[in-house]
Amino acid sequence: MTDLSLMPAPAATAAPAAVAPLTTAPAAPAVVTAAELYAKLLADAPLLIVDVRNPAEFARMRIEGREALDVLNIPYYAFIEDEDDAAAPIPTDREVVVVCAKEGSSEYVAELLAARGMAVSYLAGGFPAWGNHVDVRDVAAGAWGKVIQIARPARGDLSFVVVSDGAAAVIDPLRHTAVYHDTIAAEGASLAVVLDTHVHADHISGGPALAAATGAPYHVHAYDAIHPIDMLPATIPYTSLDDGQTFPIGAVTVTAHWFPGHTLGQFNFRLDAPDGTSALFTGDGIFLRSFGRPDLGGKGEAWTPLLYESLTERLPAIVHPHTLILPAHFSALDEAGADGVFSAPYAAVAATNDALRHRDLAEFTAYVLGHLPVFPPEYVQIKRVNIGLLEAGEQLADELELGKNICALSA
Amino acid sequence: MSTHFDATLDVKGAKCPMPLVKSRKAIGDLPVGHVLQVIATDRGSIADFQGWATTAKNIRLVAQETTAEGGQDLYVHYLERTA
Ligand SMILES: [Fe+2]
Repeated sequence: MTDLSLMPAPAATAAPAAVAPLTTAPAAPAVVTAAELYAKLLADAPLLIVDVRNPAEFARMRIEGREALDVLNIPYYAFIEDEDDAAAPIPTDREVVVVCAKEGSSEYVAELLAARGMAVSYLAGGFPAWGNHVDVRDVAAGAWGKVIQIARPARGDLSFVVVSDGAAAVIDPLRHTAVYHDTIAAEGASLAVVLDTHVHADHISGGPALAAATGAPYHVHAYDAIHPIDMLPATIPYTSLDDGQTFPIGAVTVTAHWFPGHTLGQFNFRLDAPDGTSALFTGDGIFLRSFGRPDLGGKGEAWTPLLYESLTERLPAIVHPHTLILPAHFSALDEAGADGVFSAPYAAVAATNDALRHRDLAEFTAYVLGHLPVFPPEYVQIKRVNIGLLEAGEQLADELELGKNICALSA
Repeated sequence: MSTHFDATLDVKGAKCPMPLVKSRKAIGDLPVGHVLQVIATDRGSIADFQGWATTAKNIRLVAQETTAEGGQDLYVHYLERTA
């Protein structure tokens, strides 16, 4: 009930909101920020989100949590039409957060619910504030420096900053780059290199912009710099990668390992620190519970055997049991610990991830074909943007990135 | 092609939920069978009026138009009171 502290001070005679009978003046609804909402989702406290957007918007993207989150879609106009009817499905014994497309409608509905005696708050900034919320957390740290996870929880996108001895590397940066500049500056470091594990299909990379702003080189493999469907080459400046190429970042070394399958030019980056810390930035290779689908380049048949080889032969050769797997996506919030970090040692991933279960190539291919989710048409466009074949302003970029990533095979 | 209407409601500049709140009130003041024209600048009103009309008890969405005025897009909705 931390949000109650955000409420205006009640009159001295008012009873606490939670026990106030309906006859006293209703409490005003509290405001919850996207960061506060995300903390509630991670903590998995019983919570009900009342999403008052229209059903089409709700179908496109919704707020997802862990076990204890319930979500109801009751459009705000239902409250205008018949308040009692609209409010009927909302239990009165749950903490409620109302969200809408902008903010005004959720405030409107939250006020109605507060007047009915409910413990209710509404999301500041509406759905865009949630969609653009960025979460920053340390993944690993030592005398050598640290690895920082930068997540966009609404989309299930993960990126990383490595800092060591005043040098920084950014891996798979997301579109809005301010957070990387801020994070690196806060660590007193300067950006040495920008690495994309692959040319992403689901989101627009911040890599070229970060490189342009800092002068750091931007690396992505040349195979991915050709649009797999258009067969046109990249127009952005980039430097290719070699299998086994190393990048010294202060006291740590980052080694590039070719890992074809999700894309032809997909790489994994392994970090080795002097104290034995080992982490593998897997991009859309392996995720904690799934792995990257091989069909987004339109060449699933050709790339599936490559993916099989990567998962069965390349991966075991580049990890220790204790190597932290750090993927570019999550599919569900319960893949994170309560600390909000999406990582697990390779040994744990190998034991629990169905993708790594022993299969021969035929079985693997059948498994892949049986678990391909829809192919979002905008993914072809996003790849164009990422190699400079299509210019996207903020509005188009927002539209292309609407919805959660669909880069993993389905469960 | 112009749509017939009996009354008009200007909600230009009003942000969600006000265009709908005001429309609900205005249509309640109309006789059954009359059509209310609502002029809004909120793009989200297109989908919201569609959703509202499908669930509301006595409203039919007759038509929707997008026009422009002084470089600003206008979203015009025509709602009939049916009961
Ligand atoms: Fe992806």
